[in-house]
Amino acid sequence: MSKKVIMLSVAVLFGMQAGLAMAANPDTGPGCGLGKLAWADYSHQKNIAPQVMMATTNGTFGSGTFGISSGTSGCTNDGKVMAEQKTTLFAQLNFENLSQEMAQGQGEHLASLATLMGVPLEQHAAFFAMTQERYTSLVKTGETSPVAMVKAINDAIASHPVFARVSTR
Amino acid sequence: MYIVLLLFILLFASSSPVDAGELSDSAYLAELIDKGLQAKLAGEREWHLLLHYKENLFGGHTSEQDDPGFFMSPDGKTNPQAELDATLKQFFSEELVGRSKQPAQCAFIARYHWLRERLQFDDSRLPRMACERFDRWFNDFEAQSITLIFPSAYLNNPASMFGHTFLRIDQKGQTEQTRILAYTINYAAYVPPDSGIAYPILGIFGGYSGYFSTYPYYLKVQEYRDFENRDIWEYRLNFTEHQVRRLLMHSWEFGNAAFDYFFFKENCSYHLLALLDYADPTLHLTDEFLLWTVPADTVRLVASKPGLVSGISYRPSRSNVIRRKRESLPASERELAHRITQDLGALTTPTFAQLSLPKQAFLLDLASDYLRYRTETTDSPPPEWKERNRAVLTARSQLRIPSEEFKVVPFAQQPELGHKTSRASLGSGWRNNDTFEEVTVRAGYHDLLDREVGYTPDAQIEIASLTLRHYNRANQTRIERATLANVLSLSPIDSVFHAPSWKLNIGMNTIKHNGCQLCSNGVMNGGVGVAAERHWLKREVFFAFMEGEANYSKAYEARHRIGGGGTVGLLADLSDRWKLMASGTYLRYALGDQSDDFRWFVGQRYTLSQNWALRLEYNHRDRDNDVVFSMQAFF
Repeated sequence: MSKKVIMLSVAVLFGMQAGLAMAANPDTGPGCGLGKLAWADYSHQKNIAPQVMMATTNGTFGSGTFGISSGTSGCTNDGKVMAEQKTTLFAQLNFENLSQEMAQGQGEHLASLATLMGVPLEQHAAFFAMTQERYTSLVKTGETSPVAMVKAINDAIASHPVFARVSTR
Repeated sequence: MYIVLLLFILLFASSSPVDAGELSDSAYLAELIDKGLQAKLAGEREWHLLLHYKENLFGGHTSEQDDPGFFMSPDGKTNPQAELDATLKQFFSEELVGRSKQPAQCAFIARYHWLRERLQFDDSRLPRMACERFDRWFNDFEAQSITLIFPSAYLNNPASMFGHTFLRIDQKGQTEQTRILAYTINYAAYVPPDSGIAYPILGIFGGYSGYFSTYPYYLKVQEYRDFENRDIWEYRLNFTEHQVRRLLMHSWEFGNAAFDYFFFKENCSYHLLALLDYADPTLHLTDEFLLWTVPADTVRLVASKPGLVSGISYRPSRSNVIRRKRESLPASERELAHRITQDLGALTTPTFAQLSLPKQAFLLDLASDYLRYRTETTDSPPPEWKERNRAVLTARSQLRIPSEEFKVVPFAQQPELGHKTSRASLGSGWRNNDTFEEVTVRAGYHDLLDREVGYTPDAQIEIASLTLRHYNRANQTRIERATLANVLSLSPIDSVFHAPSWKLNIGMNTIKHNGCQLCSNGVMNGGVGVAAERHWLKREVFFAFMEGEANYSKAYEARHRIGGGGTVGLLADLSDRWKLMASGTYLRYALGDQSDDFRWFVGQRYTLSQNWALRLEYNHRDRDNDVVFSMQAFF
């Protein structure tokens, strides 16, 4: 009994110390600014594509650095993409590759998108054919909003006979 | 009974329960420290790998890490035992440590796991803490295996001249098609924007800090394949699940520290080797590099370990996809694909309509590749390129067939098949009326006449080369040549690719001028030009440069001369082993010593094996003739 009390007191005290330490040492890591610098190599090129990429990665992906305290604004935890954002972020960052592969009816970006959306491997061919067929409208939607494009693909899956099983997921 | 208990509690509370707790902690800590001392843990390889200790000149140990956040003891950098003791002490505390602000048990999770196992921690006396951040981070990898990734050299960015390496953490259930979803572990310097001329200096001498990051592989593929047009080589490593876990635990510890970034040694490759060494301590990879770590050497070293690499894949740059696709077509179809990129009317011509559906798809895909290549490699590309690409893709989507897989054969074979990166030569020859022997050592990396296997074609980077020569008749030994940097990039131009060629050379050589027979001459030369490729015999590259040059030597009036001129030349493969280069240069110096210079160079290389070659070189400049025959070894 006494031992438990001691342990408890110790834990509370250590807990307090930890709290104090956190308050006294705000995160001095490099934070999200690093995300932008990852693309600094391109600054001399005035290249439009990396600039677009820089804006998106910086806004949504952060620095990708792990080991920084979590909760820094705009950063994901320890450099990882939040699970619920994986698909839309992928669609956003790979839009050019995705639209090319949708038109071509195959490709690794498209297969990866299908995987992220839960389409089983044996239905990838049908998924490719479907996105090829709807290329024009999907790309038009995607140009304004990749999120809307993912939603449109989801809707298409739901209304497509082959994917009926998938859409219930 | 109740009162007794209350009194008991009060007694303990008032007599500071912390003391009692610390007492029991410190007793156990002393026990553990003693146990560690008995077992000589601080001298074990595992501990040295975890803290990156290397034996120093005085027989002690120094860690290669500099960030105090990486150590628990103030003497940790040089005292493995003190560091071990301090680490054990810190494991009792929930205090947040390191850049990652976690309790030591979580921040240094690999150290904790190893010490826990070796000293058989009693979890009731040293309670185990939950490490939710690590668990989340670790689980999100869904790690199964590790792949070493090598994007090849890219001359147009000084940071990438020697290539780059990083690791991909392959996921469970990943296929060839979904490997782009895997995360990577990447180490790079934090370089402030607009650092310009400071970059090479600070980069070489550790002025920048390096950090680890975990970008998804698809972002790295975009960066290297799409924007920088670099080939990527992927080496799948044979690691067990246990080794993969060790690697990730140690990576997590890297998140706690900033490392001084040294361009030549403690660079991306070096830290990855430390990670691989920790994953499998029998590898001893970091022991093999003394002065510098070149990414290609890293790959060579990893590939040389028996059984370590289980598979190699090649991911071509977009520009090489375009080149190979064009090569596979007859001239008329090549022309048609190119016309589509300029005028969509080509799609409605009977010539196009007559083609089979797969052929139409192939030409449209090539046109789209090309339009994307132009868009992504041009400063502010005209918006109509993007619109035209959309139109090409719309036409493509209407064909309703999937594109067939197109296998791209690499132009440069995988890097580990290439020669090693340092070179030593022994030579002998004639200069004017004298004979000489010479020895040359070049720190790195590759010149146009070296065996091209494994290297970016038509790209030369020579760094830190020195030639000592003894003239027999003059009985004089002198520094004949010294090169600080001699970089040259030839980019053959065709109807699709129009990148300029360029060169830059800073060094010294020995001249005969104004009656001075052997005079040291400082040289700075730079130029831009064009190159073209032909396949008459095997492969020939023709080039022409416009250039400027500044010389400094006591042989000149006013000790200097500055001028400009041009060079034309040819680089030709005569056989798989035999290569020829010939060039002619005319320079007129208008400033300083007003003079001109007419130079010829003819050089030949014959390959004996991967790391041995013979050279015969003839240099002529203004009544000064120099012939040297040499044997070269790469090491």
